[in-house]
Amino acid sequence: MKFRGELSARQFAFVMNLPTLLFLGAVLAYPVIYAGYLSVHKVGLAQLRRGEFPFSGWENYGRVLEDPLFWVAIKNTLIFTAVTVVSEIVLAIAVALLINQTSIWTSRITRFLILLPYAIPPICNGLIWSFMYSFQFGFLNRLLFSAGLIDDPVNWAGNPDTALYAVSVPYIWRTLPFAIILMHAALQGIPRELYEQASIDGANAWHRFRQITLPMLQQIIAIILILRTAFAFAVFEEILAITQGGPGDATWVAAWYSYKITFSPPNNFGMGAASAFILALMIAMIALVYLRAVYRRVQL
Amino acid sequence: MTDDLISKWELSRRRVLGGAAGLGLLGPAGTFAQGAGPWSQPPKSKVDKLNFVVWTYADIYARIAKQFETDWGVKVDSTISSFNDHPTKLATMYAAGEKIDVSQSSPFSFPNFVSQGLVEPLDDMPGAKEYAADFTPFTRQVAMVNGKLMGLPYFATAWVWNYYSDMLEKLKIDKPFSTYEEFIEHCVKAKKDGVSRYPVLWVAGVGLEQLPGTWYQMTWNRGGTFFDKQGNHMLGPGSVARETLKWWANTFEKGLDIADPESLKVQFTTSAKAFGAGKNLYRGPNHHYGLNVANDPAQSPIAGKVKVLGSPGDGKTIADAHVYFLCTANRNKEWAWKLLQYLGGKTKDGNYTQASALAKDAMLGSGYTSVMNSDAIKTGWAPWGDVPEILKIWDKSAYIAEVCSSIYQPWHFPWTDQLNIEVQKCLTGQITPDACCDNLIKGIADAKRKV
Repeated sequence: MKFRGELSARQFAFVMNLPTLLFLGAVLAYPVIYAGYLSVHKVGLAQLRRGEFPFSGWENYGRVLEDPLFWVAIKNTLIFTAVTVVSEIVLAIAVALLINQTSIWTSRITRFLILLPYAIPPICNGLIWSFMYSFQFGFLNRLLFSAGLIDDPVNWAGNPDTALYAVSVPYIWRTLPFAIILMHAALQGIPRELYEQASIDGANAWHRFRQITLPMLQQIIAIILILRTAFAFAVFEEILAITQGGPGDATWVAAWYSYKITFSPPNNFGMGAASAFILALMIAMIALVYLRAVYRRVQL
Repeated sequence: MTDDLISKWELSRRRVLGGAAGLGLLGPAGTFAQGAGPWSQPPKSKVDKLNFVVWTYADIYARIAKQFETDWGVKVDSTISSFNDHPTKLATMYAAGEKIDVSQSSPFSFPNFVSQGLVEPLDDMPGAKEYAADFTPFTRQVAMVNGKLMGLPYFATAWVWNYYSDMLEKLKIDKPFSTYEEFIEHCVKAKKDGVSRYPVLWVAGVGLEQLPGTWYQMTWNRGGTFFDKQGNHMLGPGSVARETLKWWANTFEKGLDIADPESLKVQFTTSAKAFGAGKNLYRGPNHHYGLNVANDPAQSPIAGKVKVLGSPGDGKTIADAHVYFLCTANRNKEWAWKLLQYLGGKTKDGNYTQASALAKDAMLGSGYTSVMNSDAIKTGWAPWGDVPEILKIWDKSAYIAEVCSSIYQPWHFPWTDQLNIEVQKCLTGQITPDACCDNLIKGIADAKRKV
């Protein structure tokens, strides 16, 4: 039944969504559009202050794409993203399964403790790990040395072969709780009866995981993949605190590149915005691939 | 040009000292107190508050802001960030249209800030000429841009070496190195005898003055530069810079393996703290005031045993000065100038209060000849190092732009980014010194395209 003057479901949904749309438009879309505008103009500090930007067309994009350092940064970002996202998903499933064991009382404490790294500001996380990685005085080398696992200290963050992976670990440590929480919530949504029935049918733990748990987690895995990939592409704080892109260009990532181009003299805001836009396009393309390959397959 | 400047400095020093003695104006601390100068006169205009945007250094800014408020009754707001974040903070505040009365700059960022219109010329401000006349040569080279006075000095520093005297004794070596060959001999012996696994800690973290500064200093000391007077690079085969890099790279893992791997991460202060752990024989070359950390009992287990050392050969080294400037985004130029003087000049009582305090509290050098000749330096630095020795080294120093004149170019920063990358690759054995220099030559054109 519909009353006179009553909005249709479609109209009602539109009205309800409007405030959110306006808010997101103001805080998200405007800066993105403005950055897009800057990316096709010549913008330095003086121009930004005066608000007068000479139009430069696609010149900034061309300069970014011609810069070999940009491609090094993209390569490093792709490696970093692959390492961190895959590690997060595997670890999140493992930890979520552990803390999902209601019969173990320590699981409840662990559930609380697991959140702690997520509460640490990224820059502080970077500094903490920077001290841990210290070559001669770091806790990590001391621990490994005491355990007899190494004879000489390892230059974790200072060796070009290990630096990118060394930066990945603190990042995973900080962001893993997010994935665990989502994964744990999804695990709790799986009906117990499915496991009970499978057990009666003779399925062992591995079979139950393969045939029940993993398929039921696919939706959340798809969501985590998309979110974590986007965030990993924008990694910055750990790089700033631990390696500042070094040694050499071993940890120059895309966000660090944009930051340096924009905020180091000669403060080329236009080129910085162009590099950020190229990065955003890459993330969008990867998200689309995920959507096609994973998200649709799990029939959300 | 350097000799020319040194001779001018000598003249200036004599003139100022002579004048001070004649007028009887030399204050108890050795700095000039001239109560009746323009610094003691209040501006005619009114202002509610002022602000400065600076990088952090202990509580010096809280102290000087309080003194300004007490002297003039004007509130001073401060925006303080870390040294590395300061240019970003300043740039974003300026771009966002915020009011900035006074700020500061490293000598590397300063030409860019001037060319981007952030810096107000000071020539017409009352007392400005007197300040300029008292500048040391380094300060003059930084603060005078195209013949105009653009800033007042924050501090100045010269590059020195440090050594750990107990370790030298343990090695039964009677004096520190005086040639690069001796340096290698000492380090190899220290490693061979098991006294130090990594005898030298270079200050070679990513930056403008650390990794590049170390290469600049050793190249200059060996008689080379990075660019000639016409701006052509001096990095080709056989150049002093290239040969210096070869020598330097050989101290790392793929060569003699005497360099501490931590070298590629440490900055000025962290390197001094790391050296204070007593695991290395030599540190440097880097800012002289690292001694104030390495010889501070609160921060260093080997305090008092870290000594200063000049460079081999004729002892040539490099130096630089950081500056405060009056920002074009100021509220009120007269009052901003007043505040600028509190940071980089004289306070109401006519003393170089800030410069003297920095010398005594932090071992910083001054951009003013009169302060450099005063007790603030002679007694202020004494707790941390051999003052006559440091001043002797100081007298042999040239401004860093004499070695690398690209500092004045807008492409210096992107090129330095590449320099940090290529040299670190070279020092970690990923590329040869020849490839590194070839990449840097090519990189000049690439950097120009980013401007």
